[in-house]
Amino acid sequence: MILVCLIIFAVSMMYLFLAERISKYINLLIVQGILLFIVAFINLIEINTLGLIMILLETLLVKAIIIPRFLNKLRRTNNLKRLDESKIPTFYSIIIMTIIIIISFIAGYFVKNQFIQLKFFTVAISTVMGGIFFIIIHKNIFNHIVGFLIIENGAFLLSLAVGGEFPFLVSLAVLIDLLIAVLIIGVFVNKIGDTFEELSITSLTHIKD
Amino acid sequence: MLNVSIGFIYGISHILLSIYAYQHINSVDSVYFKFDSLSVLLNGLLSLILIPVLFHTRYYLNRHVPDRKMKGRFLSLMIVLSTAISGVYFSDNFLIIWVCLEITTIAVTFLIFHERYTDALEAAWKYLFISSFGITIAFLGILFLSVQSSSGLEASLSFSYLQSVATHLDPVFLKIAFLLLVTGYSIKLNLFPLYAATIDAKTAAPFPVNAIASTALINGGFVAVIRIYSVITKTGAASWAQHVLMIVGVLSLLIVSFQLFRVKRFKRMLAFSSMEHMALIAIALSLGKAGYYAALLHLVLHTLAKTGMFLNFGEIRACFQSGWIKDTGNYMKINGFSALIYLAGLLTITAIPPSGMFMSEFLLFKALLYTGNYILFAAILILLTIIIYVLFKLSMQLLYGQAPDSFNPEKAIINRYEPVSQLVLFGLVFYLAYFPPALFTGLMNAALQILN
Repeated sequence: MILVCLIIFAVSMMYLFLAERISKYINLLIVQGILLFIVAFINLIEINTLGLIMILLETLLVKAIIIPRFLNKLRRTNNLKRLDESKIPTFYSIIIMTIIIIISFIAGYFVKNQFIQLKFFTVAISTVMGGIFFIIIHKNIFNHIVGFLIIENGAFLLSLAVGGEFPFLVSLAVLIDLLIAVLIIGVFVNKIGDTFEELSITSLTHIKD
Repeated sequence: MLNVSIGFIYGISHILLSIYAYQHINSVDSVYFKFDSLSVLLNGLLSLILIPVLFHTRYYLNRHVPDRKMKGRFLSLMIVLSTAISGVYFSDNFLIIWVCLEITTIAVTFLIFHERYTDALEAAWKYLFISSFGITIAFLGILFLSVQSSSGLEASLSFSYLQSVATHLDPVFLKIAFLLLVTGYSIKLNLFPLYAATIDAKTAAPFPVNAIASTALINGGFVAVIRIYSVITKTGAASWAQHVLMIVGVLSLLIVSFQLFRVKRFKRMLAFSSMEHMALIAIALSLGKAGYYAALLHLVLHTLAKTGMFLNFGEIRACFQSGWIKDTGNYMKINGFSALIYLAGLLTITAIPPSGMFMSEFLLFKALLYTGNYILFAAILILLTIIIYVLFKLSMQLLYGQAPDSFNPEKAIINRYEPVSQLVLFGLVFYLAYFPPALFTGLMNAALQILN
């Protein structure tokens, strides 16, 4: 079951580069949030109740419900529908993402270690690298938030790969920190939408001397 | 009045915390926090600079922020920022440092955007996004670090624990963790690769914010990196980590020497100057034991000097009603005392004798020669010469250049007592470098024990 979920997760990364509509990106984030919950739940079923509640909060509640709802609100406020402004054609993006996944498998082979679960590790690394690539090829700052959230999903998978469970209070602080960061990033997107003509990084070049 | 009282009470509390921490070095039993020599030294330094910064914040708020609510908000965010920075210093756990640094990101973002103009919005957005990105990269580093630190059910990420088991850690994972942490925290350190957003942030942020963000916050980034560095130096990957720091330092210095030619604003110039000094500190650290003392001394002196420079900029802005270099001129005649202090500050940050920072840079060059890095020695010397030339060239317009037509003497705000705080700060740089008191050298040497 875990393997199936991870494969679907990797496929969702490929689909991310095919999609052009903002609503599709948000739906993909919801799917990834649910997949992360299933994977984490099965993998960590034996841990204490507080740990499980934490994972439920982080994946289902925050990643699959709160953040997507917030992003949808942002999308409607800024009237964003289709953002076909990638710097690279979709075809090449898919090829690069495929190469990223292959590189992640090779990297996984090199860091083979008794403490690491390779199946999580490879998908985590490809998700992080895919998220960075997604940010690089898009000019729109809304897409940058999507890329940032994908990197966050990769970090969550990596935490499963390394298997170390952090104390409840620390995990809670990390979660709240991230949630606040995303919400504040959203608030600033709204302000940029009000101040500048478009939500593109090309508008944000005034401060350079 | 309420804001002033709150600021005063906070300043006193911070000083009391520093005194308490000094009296209880290595003796407080807390799961996540620890008073060690390095944290006590840097927190004491923060307490010291908070006094003039909070004092000048009053001038800033009275001159540029008419709304009472906004004044309160500004002061609250400054308090949050300073507290989070102290949290970074005293943390005994990589994750707690991470959480505190994320809090500083949020506080700094809102402080940058405080004056609500377009450039501030742009800078705040860039800082928030790149900083959040950097923090996430650092989190990946922490996850790699936790791979082998798992003991029982919970991963122990305390420095004390990791230092004690350093020799048993896999060097490959340590290297990956170090690289990710240095990359992620480079935005706080004002170093390559994520330096750009920090420079933009400091260009737009109000000067009291810069006085903290360009000094104490940078020190926070330094603490975060030094903690992982202290673990890695106990393993076979030590020389690898030193090479990483050297590359980061040299590249940062190169970037500064090129970018400074394009600078048109004072705050941007000072931000690049901070980047230059952090680059020197990274290079000093990369030299191993020979450079540790120079690195820490330079960090301390830079904190005092740069605070003074940013506070002095507050006076320049009040006088010319602008932060652009082209809008200033003839400052030596318009406000002689403040101009002289600016010149003293400029000599201090460019490390020209008798500047105290000359001493730390001299120690750095000595360490470079001692370790046989002759080419690097020559390269740094050339780059520093370029940087000093540009800094002086830009400053000469302010001090002796012709005042712009737009300058209105009636609108100029000049307070002859304001530069006194900067005089004290630059004096302290001189004093600590040439006549260090026993308390200071004791703390410095004890702090360096973390690395030895």
